[in-house]
Amino acid sequence: MITIVNYGLGNVAAFLNMYKRMNIAARAASSADELIGATRLVLPGVGAFDHAMDLLEGSGMRPSLEQLVEVEKVPLLGVCVGMQMLTQGSDEGAREGLGWIPGRTRAFAASNQAGGLPLPHMGWNDVTPKKGEALFAGLEDDARFYFLHSYYVECADVADRAATAGYGLDFACAVHRENVWGMQFHPEKSHHFGATVLKNFAEL
Amino acid sequence: MAPVQARRSCGKRVGCTCELCLGDPVTEALQTSNHPTFKIEHRVDSHGRPYQICTNCIMDTTDSKIVFDERGWCDYCNNYYQNILPNWHTDARGEREIWAQVEQIKKDGRGRDHDCLIGLSGGVDSSYLVYLAKVKFGLRPLLYHVDGGWNSQQAVNNIEKLVDGLGLDLFTEVVNWPEMRDLQLAFFKSQVSHIDAPQDMAFFAGLYNFAAKNKVKYILTGANYSTECVREPLEWDYHKSDLRQMKDIHRQHGTIPLKTFPLCGIFRYRLYYRIFKGVRVVKPLNSVPYIKEEAMQELVDKYGWQRYAHKHYESRFTRFYEGYWLPTKFGFDKRRPHFSSVILTGQMSRDEALEKISKPAYDPETIVEDFEYIATKLGITVAELQALHDAPNKTYRDYNNYMPLIELGTTVMQKIGLEHRVLR
Amino acid sequence: MLRPRIIPCLLIHQGGLVKTVGFGQPRYVGDPINAVKIFNEKESDELVVLDIDATVNGAEPDFKTIAHLAAECRMPLCYGGGIKTAAQAKRIVGLGVEKVAISSAAVDRPELIAEISAEVGRQSVVVVVDAKKRALRGGYEVWTHNAKRNSKMDAIAFAQQAARQGAGEIVLNSIDRDGKMKGYDLVLAATLRNAIDVPITVLGGAGSLDDIESVIAAVGTVGIAAGSLFVFKGALRAVLINYPAPNVKEELVSSAITKRGQGGVARSSREI
Repeated sequence: MITIVNYGLGNVAAFLNMYKRMNIAARAASSADELIGATRLVLPGVGAFDHAMDLLEGSGMRPSLEQLVEVEKVPLLGVCVGMQMLTQGSDEGAREGLGWIPGRTRAFAASNQAGGLPLPHMGWNDVTPKKGEALFAGLEDDARFYFLHSYYVECADVADRAATAGYGLDFACAVHRENVWGMQFHPEKSHHFGATVLKNFAEL
Repeated sequence: MAPVQARRSCGKRVGCTCELCLGDPVTEALQTSNHPTFKIEHRVDSHGRPYQICTNCIMDTTDSKIVFDERGWCDYCNNYYQNILPNWHTDARGEREIWAQVEQIKKDGRGRDHDCLIGLSGGVDSSYLVYLAKVKFGLRPLLYHVDGGWNSQQAVNNIEKLVDGLGLDLFTEVVNWPEMRDLQLAFFKSQVSHIDAPQDMAFFAGLYNFAAKNKVKYILTGANYSTECVREPLEWDYHKSDLRQMKDIHRQHGTIPLKTFPLCGIFRYRLYYRIFKGVRVVKPLNSVPYIKEEAMQELVDKYGWQRYAHKHYESRFTRFYEGYWLPTKFGFDKRRPHFSSVILTGQMSRDEALEKISKPAYDPETIVEDFEYIATKLGITVAELQALHDAPNKTYRDYNNYMPLIELGTTVMQKIGLEHRVLR
Repeated sequence: MLRPRIIPCLLIHQGGLVKTVGFGQPRYVGDPINAVKIFNEKESDELVVLDIDATVNGAEPDFKTIAHLAAECRMPLCYGGGIKTAAQAKRIVGLGVEKVAISSAAVDRPELIAEISAEVGRQSVVVVVDAKKRALRGGYEVWTHNAKRNSKMDAIAFAQQAARQGAGEIVLNSIDRDGKMKGYDLVLAATLRNAIDVPITVLGGAGSLDDIESVIAAVGTVGIAAGSLFVFKGALRAVLINYPAPNVKEELVSSAITKRGQGGVARSSREI
């Protein structure tokens, strides 16, 4: 069953709601026990990187997640700060990330091209998926989502970029490496566009 | 969520194999549906009559008073051919009659901002009527909409498209939501089958009260034989305009006073407003050919009108009530009279109707979500709504009513030729 | 390309939706839950819901209603009204709301902005500035409590301070234009755009989609919020929920951007 990791951050209810309305079974997990049997994982997150990593540590679910993702290769989708947590670390803070996507999370404010643009990056923006990326099936011609963030992921391996968006610079707004996916935008708040990618993730 | 049960009165369980249950297409469809929470029990109708369905339309013994002739044709069909058809003119004669009325409306409306009032729900009948009134007849209607708190997106879209596309004025009466909710919840608690009475009352009371107050002479309605010549029995859908019934139900099950809720009793609007206030009701859709499918397509093509899954689904509440509550709690499926009407008027074949009615009237994909939405809006839990659904049914007779007086009135109207439909 | 955000703004008064003129004369508009559901089905960019009683009455936010509204939204929801503590803000975000808005509370105790920001993240903190033209001397002042109390603070300076203290978005609400449906205050909008570097949203005065287009043409990619426009129809101001269809929105934005390019309107460095 699709399992939303409830470690204290992120709109868990919205994900559950989206899946419920699609008649796709989903549940939330607040402890390591509740992760047992997960066939897909969603890692949400909003707010600050360090705060998120601390809460994840504190939840006691990190070892189970690592087991599920690294060993059992259960597909996992990180959303917003959840995607940033997949990297090795963030300019925003001091903690190390989960490290499943080689690369770092960078500040828009530091980037020359983005200098001067209002921050956070807030609103609906166009997304250009990589050709053949199954997550965006059905949205090849028209993909746009709601963004709300001040930091972006810089992939060490360009092949990990599953989709790009532009805000001053072109940045990876979705990533995919083996069984790990990430979305910087909010699929749970992007109307039918978001519903489509969430459904695609469920059916991968 | 606890299993939701569709109850029929023989009390037998799922998998009943009596001859009444085998071969009942609605039952079989529900039984085989994949939805995990629906079960169905089966029944004979409450008078111990064996199940029978008309061989011409699809009305059946879920109307417990239905009468069949030796051909197996029901009294709705016979009434249609004997009483309605001879008095229904959509040819040159119909044109002449309606144009005469239109000219009178225009004449009486000179010097006023509008010459008539049209109640617009966003549904196909009132929408098409608005279009005809402006484009064909050149009238200057004021559009009147009652917002009861349940508008679907399609309804508001359709009203907007007509207002903009035809350049017409709109007036909206917004019903006080807490009062509507209280009255609707009272009806749910009363266990009667006509729980759409609050919405219906608000719509036509709003319209008629407005007309009387503003000295409107002509109300145009979308009432039509083409899709409504077979009317659901009162046993299913009792008189919405019986104010005595409504007040009794509210007195027994309501919790807050109805201070602003639009109210208008049957006698006030049928007698007082008409005789003393001079409000006339005109039904233009009976004077022109009205083929529903073509009418809808025309609205879609010309104005960006959006279709509904079924009649009356411009209100989320009505969709739930007619699609789910009424069939599963009472065994009454309003698609029967709707489809039977269009079978008689040649817009649907009986086979097609049988095929359609074999599927549930609600959408199994969304029913859980819909059920929750209704509970949320009513301010109760899903379990509480479930309990209301499963409690024993009652009828209008369990509450005060004006039925004897209304029956007398109906008989008089039928005798003097002002009412041609079967109303019982 | 980041698009301008077109945002219905709904006001809740005694549990029901209302619309005001100049922040007064509340007129009943109907049930909030059904309205939100319709805006969701029309795929609105975002939604702002403000409880205009809570602060005046000193009441807590209505958490139950907030949860129901959030459940109907597949787009970001911003809720404001009666939020005085970071704990309340956190609870509201936990109910599924993307952003919380504070107004009078930020005037009374500006540290609250930083507190909430630390709790839920800057991206979720909106400060709503109700601005009214200062008589005689020019400029705009911040008013609170449904435009009944004048704080005497300069609106732009207050917005700048709020951004520094951790607000992720400023909503600038023109009291003078509220409910009149005669157009936005473009001067105020441009002044604000040039003064701060967080996203802004302008509210107050929209009478038609052309007014929205004018804002985009004048100020660029910002949020444009409207109350009356999306809730009333026609000369009789009949209540009818409406919102531009996706293709209409696209055309509006394209047209505005073209005008912006041609018009030689002063562009700030805050442009893509």
